[in-house]
Amino acid sequence: MFKLNINGAIHVVDAPANMPLLWVFRDLLQLTGTKYGCGIGQCGACTIHLDGAAVRSCSFPLESAAGREIITIEGLANGDVLHPVQKAWIAQDVPQCGYCQSGQMMQAAALIAENSDPSNHEINQAMKGNICRCGTYLRIQKAIKQAAKELASYRVLDDGL
Amino acid sequence: MDRRTFFRISSISGGGLLISSLFPLGCQTPKPIGPDWEPNFFLRISPDNTITFSCAQSEIGQGTSTGLAMILADELGASLEKIEIEFAEGSEERFGYLQDTGGSNGVRMTYQPLREASATAREILITAAAQTWNVSGEACYAKEGAIHLKNTDKQIPFGDLIHLAVTLPAPRTIQLKEKSEFEYIGKPAIGPKTYQAAEGKVPYGIDVQLPDMVYAAIQRCPVWGGKLVSFKSDKAKAFPGVIDVVELEPTELQSNDYKGGVRPGVVVLATNTWAALEAKKLLEIEWDFGPNGNKSDSDMREELEAAKNQTNEITHDFKNGAALFRNGMRYIEASYESPFQVNACMEPLNAVAYHMGYKVEVWSGTQSPKMTRERIAELTKLPLGAVTIHNQPAGGGFGRRFFIDFVEEAVILSELIRKPVKVTWSRADTFSTSKYHPFRTEYWSAALDRNNYPVALSNKGVVEKPNGYRPYPYSLPAAFHKYLTYKDGNLLPRASWRSVMAHPWGLGLECFIDELAHEAGIDPVQFRMDLLDKAEIVEQVLVPWVGDDLYPQKLKRTLEVAAERSDWSSNGQNGIFKGVSAIGYNTSYCTQIADVPMVNEELKVHKITAVFDCGLVINPKQVEAQIEGSIMWALSALLKAPITVQNGVVQEKNYDTYDLLRMHEAPEVDIILLESEDAPSGTGEPAVPGTAPAVLNALFAATGKRIRQLPITKSLLAQGELT
Repeated sequence: MFKLNINGAIHVVDAPANMPLLWVFRDLLQLTGTKYGCGIGQCGACTIHLDGAAVRSCSFPLESAAGREIITIEGLANGDVLHPVQKAWIAQDVPQCGYCQSGQMMQAAALIAENSDPSNHEINQAMKGNICRCGTYLRIQKAIKQAAKELASYRVLDDGL
Repeated sequence: MDRRTFFRISSISGGGLLISSLFPLGCQTPKPIGPDWEPNFFLRISPDNTITFSCAQSEIGQGTSTGLAMILADELGASLEKIEIEFAEGSEERFGYLQDTGGSNGVRMTYQPLREASATAREILITAAAQTWNVSGEACYAKEGAIHLKNTDKQIPFGDLIHLAVTLPAPRTIQLKEKSEFEYIGKPAIGPKTYQAAEGKVPYGIDVQLPDMVYAAIQRCPVWGGKLVSFKSDKAKAFPGVIDVVELEPTELQSNDYKGGVRPGVVVLATNTWAALEAKKLLEIEWDFGPNGNKSDSDMREELEAAKNQTNEITHDFKNGAALFRNGMRYIEASYESPFQVNACMEPLNAVAYHMGYKVEVWSGTQSPKMTRERIAELTKLPLGAVTIHNQPAGGGFGRRFFIDFVEEAVILSELIRKPVKVTWSRADTFSTSKYHPFRTEYWSAALDRNNYPVALSNKGVVEKPNGYRPYPYSLPAAFHKYLTYKDGNLLPRASWRSVMAHPWGLGLECFIDELAHEAGIDPVQFRMDLLDKAEIVEQVLVPWVGDDLYPQKLKRTLEVAAERSDWSSNGQNGIFKGVSAIGYNTSYCTQIADVPMVNEELKVHKITAVFDCGLVINPKQVEAQIEGSIMWALSALLKAPITVQNGVVQEKNYDTYDLLRMHEAPEVDIILLESEDAPSGTGEPAVPGTAPAVLNALFAATGKRIRQLPITKSLLAQGELT
């Protein structure tokens, strides 16, 4: 039995210790926003946050996630308020088929949490593990820049209090 | 221990509740039952003024559902944000060929019928309101989901008029709106799929879950045409979560090869996807690979070469090309090779089927739910009315999801166990045992006059594919030979791949035209413009999905604009070299100019300028997205390793051996959409064929080397033929 903290809720999961988190989410917990793309950590579609870091859930075993803070795409928004990354993704009309975008957004959110003003090069390096077959890369770049600015502006507000 | 109940979960404190529902998760919840008005198969209006658009076309990432909803909103007089989009179940009766999503035909085929249907509904609603107010229809107009009385505040929501509308006949003549009246068409609009995708809520087939559903993964025969001999399943059965292991019998490829072609296989049935995929790796299977077991992709090259040498029949002699070809002072020839490719949709192929014996229901993202329904009826021998195909939005189609072997598998397995079955393909399955873009070679030769200017051309390859598009836009006489085929049939089964045969013929045509320009000592843009200037309209066999004839003047216009926009005359300055291509396909026209810096060892595409004529632009943001996406697609095939075959077996298994273009490799893209009053034409594919030749032609400008095959490799760059 493993206790998982996902998006602020506790789930007790009875499954093999080496079952990847991706499949725990999708098949056991009906959290299907995180996607299966390759199973070997090469495409980024399965990206989630583990203690704030971007992690490929297809290659992360259940037992290593116990007790840690997991955020999936379902938990990226703050209740009804979308994360700046999600807002920017909408504003820039990023998705085509949309399948890779949960992973793209999670990867991007982790980047801008660390780096409030990423350069083009830094964006490319952070995102190069996320494949988009529909080729939305150019809009993702714009959306990340927009989201970083918005997130930075919240920080300024926080600091000012 | 009972394997079925091995996995248990419980949830505490809010979120993550196991949702037990009779309805497939991730699908549309059913609408309230009531006296809705359905004036046509596209549109349903409820008493509470919910406007539902029943989209015939699949949403595979091309944005067609958004574009069509915009057309409906404009013509009907509804608010786009308030329109609910559902994807129509497969139905020949309702939609016919409109449910075939391919050939970049979604908006262009549906545009006129949808406008007419929406305008008709609008006129009936206006009549209903006019009767209610006792005024003439001319005093009324439709806007934001209500009929308004001019010069007053009076309005009646559509939903309040439907009880009267349903009694009224449609007018004999209708008036479509003028372009000046459009609220949505021609402007960027963000569709529902964007909002859904931003929250990870798009209901893909792979997300569908039904109560009591069994998860299946299949080890398919690695060689096309092979047979299953025997298998051992004890190790697989021991994996936690596995229910059973069964054999899957193949279905024969049909003459319409969208259907059939299920490979023989061994199936793991389990309680969850991971167990099925992992246990599959533990199967011990013996195959008889058959004759393809001795063949490799290099054999395809040889077979096409042999076919070229044996083929002399000219099936299309353009402007007396065959005779004129004999009058050359000098001859040049070149061949252009395009290897096997795979679609690699981000969402691996999957289908959920529930065969209850007397009826069957399917949930899957396909590119033709209508064709899927017909085929499943044929396969199961059930009447058409007993087959329901729910069409899910898909994580990419690109042609692969037109070929429905993956649906047939789920239906066969469900029939066997009489439970809902979800078949999920692993990524490796989608690479090694799928259906592929064929290996093709285009052979071109030219008779040149004493000024090294071409007199006539000769082509052998795929241009003359039966039932194909007539793609050649230039005025030079040309002899087109009978389509080249493989000697012994397919090494790999084929599927459509974004732009299909335009990819190899576009490569050959636009590279060879460039070589001709160079031979003649004429600037490549000018050379093409002269030939297009003198060219006549190329007639096509007009079927709904072809749309229109090929207009060389339209192609020329894209060339002119692109040359100016990209500052073509600066070619070679500041270390930037340019190459051009001009392609007419799916009734649209696209010139691309590639900017490539001086090449040392590695090729970096700095920028692509694309000028695109697709008639009336519905949603410019989506059209630009399609062009960008097409370019990225084409660059993957140009720059990355292809699919290779050794002894019948595809060697590439995942993204570590068949990589796709990644963000840091994306060039800058500058797009101009030409204004046009013509009917909307294709946007999903027409920008694919021109990217590779534009880049290869730029490479020639930068290095003097002609590379005539895909992909470009370091060794090719090092050794490429200097001309």
